[in-house]
Amino acid sequence: MKRLFSIFIFTTLTLSLFAQAKKPTIMVVPSDQYCISRGYKMEFESMGATQTLPDYKAAMQNDADLRLVITKMGQIMADRGFPLKDLEMELRNLEREAAESAMLMSSTSGSEMAESPVDALKRTAKADIIMDLSFDIKRMGPERYISFNLRGLDSYTSKQVSGAAGAGKPSSAASPELLLEEAVLSHMDGFNAGLQSHFDDMFAKGREVKINIRRFASFYDNLESYYTDESTGEELELLEHIENWFFDNTVEGRFSLSDASENQMRLEQVRIPMMETDSRGRERAVDTRRFLSGLSRYLRTTFGIDSKIYVRGLGEAWLIVGEK
Amino acid sequence: MFINPKNHYNTMKTLSYFSLVLVFLFAMGEATNAQNRFSRRERKAHYSSDYNYDVQIMGVGQDGTKVMKVSGHGKRVEDAVIEAKMNAVASVIFKGIPGGHGAATTPPILKDSNAGDKHAEYFETFFSPGGKYLQFITMTTDGMPSGQDRLKMKKGYKVFIYAQVMYDALRKQLENDGIARSLDSGF
Repeated sequence: MKRLFSIFIFTTLTLSLFAQAKKPTIMVVPSDQYCISRGYKMEFESMGATQTLPDYKAAMQNDADLRLVITKMGQIMADRGFPLKDLEMELRNLEREAAESAMLMSSTSGSEMAESPVDALKRTAKADIIMDLSFDIKRMGPERYISFNLRGLDSYTSKQVSGAAGAGKPSSAASPELLLEEAVLSHMDGFNAGLQSHFDDMFAKGREVKINIRRFASFYDNLESYYTDESTGEELELLEHIENWFFDNTVEGRFSLSDASENQMRLEQVRIPMMETDSRGRERAVDTRRFLSGLSRYLRTTFGIDSKIYVRGLGEAWLIVGEK
Repeated sequence: MFINPKNHYNTMKTLSYFSLVLVFLFAMGEATNAQNRFSRRERKAHYSSDYNYDVQIMGVGQDGTKVMKVSGHGKRVEDAVIEAKMNAVASVIFKGIPGGHGAATTPPILKDSNAGDKHAEYFETFFSPGGKYLQFITMTTDGMPSGQDRLKMKKGYKVFIYAQVMYDALRKQLENDGIARSLDSGF
């Protein structure tokens, strides 16, 4: 018995020691300005207006300078323990995945894979943090210099979490490739320091995410309907019950309800904990889906309302009440 | 020319009053200046402070390195050069290097301004004579600095040397020793 107890304690300790928070993925993406100004763009008509979008595939296939900069940045980030997601590879994989999913079928019945239009729509290149990059080789008399601009953007909160920008030293002797390499080497330490501050803040105050609460049109009530929580005896609007749940479950009650109506609630700057202990006593990393499943359970057990969780990424999810 | 003795007396009296006021103002000014001046002990503390050194980046170094010009104080030039080498490594760890010469600002490896005190024992060994800090300097102007890079002070010398510090290797060493936090720690 004593031995069993020791093994249990050891296993629990090991599990908690090896528990790690969800690591954000990072990808370098050339900025819209960079792509469009160099002609890597797609133009199409939409409702009578011409829309211009960057063509990343064309940029990656034709721009040697861009590839050089991305390679150098990837090398530095991998050295810091954050291998970057490669945009070119990701685009290629998505194409292959789409082709394979269209062809794949069951060997027994010949059934195709189930895929909703939303599943197909979600098949895009994405990362949790985008390194939005633009640079320019400029001239000043006989000398050339690099103007460099790198922004670290949180894909979900749209906040700039780090940045580095500036102009390099003009030179008439150095090749543009060497100047570009210099620009990357010069700015990456500052950029990573900003990223480190962002992660420190995340571990101290929780991960900042965005959550939308919506309702299915088929739901017989709305977010302003009154419900009674039997455990507290409070009769409040469903919206207020949800707000109270957020207050109880976010880190230090940090969140802001930026918009609310009978059909939706938009919650921003929601600080969710990085780790939690699950029902089996294990330390587990928390992402927005896992966090929202707690709210979904609360709505079902307390008010008998079903809900569906729709994940948009590590830092954004929607909870649609009324149905599964 | 006739000078009225009475007028002359009045003029003299006015002048003497005016001189007195000037002397008073001058004395007040001196007293104020004296308050801004540092005592000999304060000046000594200022010069012997561990934080008192100049550092300037000299351009973008090779992969993972920083090239800088850094100062050191010492009674002899040799001592000042040794201190400058220590300062080069210390600046990268604690102070960071301001941008210039086409290079962006380099942030310090340890962001906490009290990190030196928190890990005093570690850094005592790290910066001991012939200590591990030397492993992270790959190039210095080891010859005697001359001209503007060698300033004779009241007691000793202030010298400037050019040093190349292996920034990435130093950061990794501090991360492995548990002094600095790595970018991916916790994930």
